[in-house]
Amino acid sequence: MRLSTEQFNALEQELDNVKKQVQQQLGEADARYIRRVLLVQRISAISGRVLMVLGFITPWFWLLGVLLLALAKILDNMEIGHNVLHGQYDWMNDPILHSRRFEWDIACDAGSWQRTHNFEHHTYTNIIGLDRDFGYGLLRLSNDFRWRLRNLWQGGTYLVLSMLFQWGVSYHELAAQRVFAGKKKADRHSQVTDRELKHAFFSKGARQLLKDYLFFPLIAGPMWLWVLTGNLLANLIRNLWTSTVIFCGHFTKDVHTFSAAECENESRGQWYYRQMLGSSNFTGPTWLHILTGHLSCQIEHHLFPDIPARHYPAMAQQVQAIAEKYGISYNTGSFISQYSSVFWRIMRYSLPGGEKALKTTLKTTE
Amino acid sequence: MLANQPSLTLYFLPLIQRLWPGFLPGLYRARLVSQQWQTTDMLLLTVKVSERWTGFVPGQHIVLTIKNNGRYLSRPFSICSSLKLWQSQQQIQLCCKVNAMGEVTPLLAQLANASMLNISLAQGDFHWQQPDLPAMFIAAGSGITPVAAMLLSQRHWLAPVTLHYRCRGAENAALLTALQQLATRQPLFQLQLSDSRVEPAAAWQQQLIADISHQQFYLCGPAAFMQQQRNALVNAGINSTAIRQEQFGVAMSGPADPEADASTLSGHFIRAGTRIAVSLNRQQSLLQNAEQYGLTPRFGCRVGVCFQCVCDKVSGQVRDIRSGDLSGHGAEQIQLCVSQPVTELVIKL
Repeated sequence: MRLSTEQFNALEQELDNVKKQVQQQLGEADARYIRRVLLVQRISAISGRVLMVLGFITPWFWLLGVLLLALAKILDNMEIGHNVLHGQYDWMNDPILHSRRFEWDIACDAGSWQRTHNFEHHTYTNIIGLDRDFGYGLLRLSNDFRWRLRNLWQGGTYLVLSMLFQWGVSYHELAAQRVFAGKKKADRHSQVTDRELKHAFFSKGARQLLKDYLFFPLIAGPMWLWVLTGNLLANLIRNLWTSTVIFCGHFTKDVHTFSAAECENESRGQWYYRQMLGSSNFTGPTWLHILTGHLSCQIEHHLFPDIPARHYPAMAQQVQAIAEKYGISYNTGSFISQYSSVFWRIMRYSLPGGEKALKTTLKTTE
Repeated sequence: MLANQPSLTLYFLPLIQRLWPGFLPGLYRARLVSQQWQTTDMLLLTVKVSERWTGFVPGQHIVLTIKNNGRYLSRPFSICSSLKLWQSQQQIQLCCKVNAMGEVTPLLAQLANASMLNISLAQGDFHWQQPDLPAMFIAAGSGITPVAAMLLSQRHWLAPVTLHYRCRGAENAALLTALQQLATRQPLFQLQLSDSRVEPAAAWQQQLIADISHQQFYLCGPAAFMQQQRNALVNAGINSTAIRQEQFGVAMSGPADPEADASTLSGHFIRAGTRIAVSLNRQQSLLQNAEQYGLTPRFGCRVGVCFQCVCDKVSGQVRDIRSGDLSGHGAEQIQLCVSQPVTELVIKL
């Protein structure tokens, strides 16, 4: 599966056209949609917190409250936060929904997320050694990485990471910069100092902890333990869900990886090609797409990160047709099958050996 | 802190807007009462403003925000109506020059009646300082709007006042009827209309300078026009502290810089954490430069009034288009819409 330079250029043209078509129709409908999601998020957050306190009437209220708060956090992080922080709604010029001012209900500081996720992960997607999201420096997900003893229990590591996912995300940049431990890497440059990183990490993290585990339990009076437990549970549900969705985006069975050397000076067509092969989708009903923040259309998200996500399912049909035309494999499947293959990957590579990931070349046929 | 938003109002905004459509934090609601063409390209908007709005000093402007196709768009406009209209009916009038190629002003003509708009607090320090001194007002084109508000609001006339109003013929003179009525009613007020199609600029200026028994001068009009008038007055011996002016529209030419030719500079925009290498046009504002790369920084009035496009400059030097002042080279906040690149730049959008 190799493309010629002309084919890469034609691919670039076709995908640019898909993007342009959607860009031209952005407007009222998109604004109304995202404002409605925001309204639902606010209503579920507020009613969830109130219902938890009303748990003294019947525990079912408490349970409903926990689920509503978890829903609010998931919407805030996925369909709203992740997409707004990509700048998908900057054109609205809105006081809340702008990438420059948005802050979300998660331990990770928005600015840090934009640097590690928007920049590092989206630019160097699945390039071994550059995209630290491939295994998060904790998991061995292909035989491109040397086996170490700690990989033996990476099933457990994965479970802990998923449960504490927001803290993993929050610590991601500090780990890369070796802020607290490890030797600095000479080739890593940062837009911010270690001091700023530490400040952002501790102040955002502390704010989140105080809010969920001190302030809201305190104002609940005698129901404080219920509220504290409920908040803990809501955060846990959100962590497990976001981690599961995100793992399905790049670690499924047929996902491809790349080497840093051959991605140097890649053309835009080659970048598109790499994004298509390095990501995977899963199918499902509309509500599932919304709960994943449309990361169920990870391929489209990686091709067009700044297009409002509600357009991805429709764009996916066009992208899949284009992939077929150029003979590029398009990695999709049901949620269950994609997740099982992720789980299998984590388990398989906890043992030494195994196949190398599908290493793909960007070289042209000439 | 509780809401991960700068204020609780912003957290509750989606709910507040449900109950109270058109609410925007920091702004005031205004309902459109009527639109009326003053000339072929000057539109007079009458709006009824919220009771919470705190009023204005004649000569001040507001930033008008409208919502179109999902976007918020803002522009500054001078209030052209009298204080009395606001006091008696809670209404203000804005006389807007409609630029057919513009992004915002053509929409004003299409607003449905009773639309909900948002206005800012009144701002600006262009107002009639000492009504007891003889004064000359010089206005051109849409520059008449703040001047009209000052003159029409005046209740007790203490000293003679002359208004020199330059425009392309009486049919293109906005707010002319109200000013003519004032002139017939008020003996201390004199209106001098000058038709720029008939009367050459030099002759008109001569006439102005011949008549400088006044002690205060108020200028409002296009930037180049005001610069000319100011120079002429100063050359005629007027102390520059006696000249006050309001400036609308950004003079993109700016003070000439010998090196500011058509060449470009390299720079980086950091948007949502991602660095984007760009080549910057020295003649354009950074806002225009960013938009040409498909970036969409938050913006408002685009003439340096509303401060919505303030961004962090990481490094490099910029020039303020309005004043020609150069910035430092280090990290600081700048307004994108009135900053031109001078050196290589790194800007965090």
